[in-house]
Amino acid sequence: MTSLALSCGPLEAEGYVVRRSGMHWLHDDGYVCRPNEVIGFCNISLEQASGRRSGKFPLAGEMELHVAFAPRIGGRLRISDGNSPGGYLNALGLHVWNPNDVFGYLEEAQRDDDAAQANPNPGELRLLMIAGRRMSELADTNIGILPGWHSRSRAWWCDQPGSDLSTLLCLGLCDAAGVVRGNETPFVEAFEATPSPAHFVYVPDHPMVPCAPILLEQLLRSPAQNEALAADLSAGLSGGSVVPNADDWMFAGALLSSLQNSPMREKYDVLTPAGLRQLGPADTILLSMAAEVRSVLRHKKLGYSVQMLRHRQTAAGPAIRSWLSSAFEPVKRTVDDVQRDYRKLIDAVAAQTGARVVILNRMSTSGFEDITSYAAFDAPLGDTLENISAKEMNLMLHDLAKDCDFSIVDVDAIAADLGGSEHLPDGIHHSSAMQAMVRAEISNILNTADQPKSN
Amino acid sequence: MRCELRLTRINPNMSAAVVESLYAKAGSEMKAGDKLCDLSVDLSSGFSQYCPPISYYRVVVREKVRLQELLIGLGDSCDVGQLMAVFGTEQDDPREGAPARSLRITTAAIAHHSGMWSASDR
Repeated sequence: MTSLALSCGPLEAEGYVVRRSGMHWLHDDGYVCRPNEVIGFCNISLEQASGRRSGKFPLAGEMELHVAFAPRIGGRLRISDGNSPGGYLNALGLHVWNPNDVFGYLEEAQRDDDAAQANPNPGELRLLMIAGRRMSELADTNIGILPGWHSRSRAWWCDQPGSDLSTLLCLGLCDAAGVVRGNETPFVEAFEATPSPAHFVYVPDHPMVPCAPILLEQLLRSPAQNEALAADLSAGLSGGSVVPNADDWMFAGALLSSLQNSPMREKYDVLTPAGLRQLGPADTILLSMAAEVRSVLRHKKLGYSVQMLRHRQTAAGPAIRSWLSSAFEPVKRTVDDVQRDYRKLIDAVAAQTGARVVILNRMSTSGFEDITSYAAFDAPLGDTLENISAKEMNLMLHDLAKDCDFSIVDVDAIAADLGGSEHLPDGIHHSSAMQAMVRAEISNILNTADQPKSN
Repeated sequence: MRCELRLTRINPNMSAAVVESLYAKAGSEMKAGDKLCDLSVDLSSGFSQYCPPISYYRVVVREKVRLQELLIGLGDSCDVGQLMAVFGTEQDDPREGAPARSLRITTAAIAHHSGMWSASDR
């Protein structure tokens, strides 16, 4: 029986020494792994090369930085001794990256498949970089992949020098997050299904719900406006009648971070086999139509919008709740308002960054209903009945697509094909089979789109 | 004839529902199409570390009945199969004895609204 040595391959950052921790294995010795399936990971750190002057470190804001390893071909994993000392030695970057380090072997390797034929060194592991920017540097939990609380997390295959990395930024709710970030090991499911060069970024839906008016305001807000709203938030918390507690301050910090940053404008440092590169703002932005809430809170004095999903509001303390009820007023949004907000956002994104927008529509049917009369449901029915609301919103989206350049992922049709009650029981949380189909649909949209803009 | 309303399994994964709104009280005369109650169904059984999979439903009667006994209150959690209310189809139906059948109802998913128990500052 032949075996194939699994080496870690090249990873460089000019001016820096790449260091790695011991290996965390995600599978046991003897596991039969698939091509592109992540089997283990190391933590990564950068150390300034000798003679280099101190300066800003690349990726310095991303205190979680891992490289995950995946075989190019399938086979039975045999783990070499000595690469996984455990404890803090599996967390600290004690080893200088050596592309020839061998972590294990593949037995019964499927050398005759296309991936093996295409690569001169089929035993060189694929490298999936995974990075997380903590919501606070206090949120350190050095266990596993992307532990803790992150304001942004991302991943990219970094084993193809010179290839274009196209960035997909996920600004959606659970329906989009599950497709991009996944529900098992972060990003691993998505990248196993996306073997081509790609860079996926996930920004969570908290504390603010990523609906069109909030995203638009983030994109267009000036530094002076950022300062004004920070001063107002500070005065509102400290000058109110309710003494803020720890929950209030935590919530306020996360809220301010969310208000003052636009993920759509952000640029990205990436490590590649050929060195460090900087990517421009995202090429594609993935949104959930389920995020288009029918009411937002508008600040009475400064005019900006906030809104949180109901279960997020419970994380706020009494002072934040008091401030939200006194300094803001609710503003209802009709379907026409949502369409107008989408149009403004898509146009602004096109003008500011050139990114393409992709929107997940909503499941609009329920197998649990047996309506025989609408008499018991207040008009307008779209404000009362979920299925009518979803149908109206889906129609609005299709109408908008006639004269506005964006793409729709037809979650409604996919769920109907698969079976909504089994794969989308509450209309927002997908099964893994549903996620895989939505992921494939997004991939089709991206593959048929224009080439990504140059960074 | 007496008929009963028990919590049906609106969603195959649910085990219970919370009473969010009540639109009738004991003694109410109801006709087909009248609202009876709103329910919330939390598929995480009310304790989710993550985004809670909550849906809201309205229960509407589909026949002319008189509400004899209302066994639920706002905020109550009911298990699937639990008796929620007893009705009579005739004015002079006896108020004792086993119900002969289930109440005919319609159930539909609705949006959360400000009149719900979970929206109150409880």
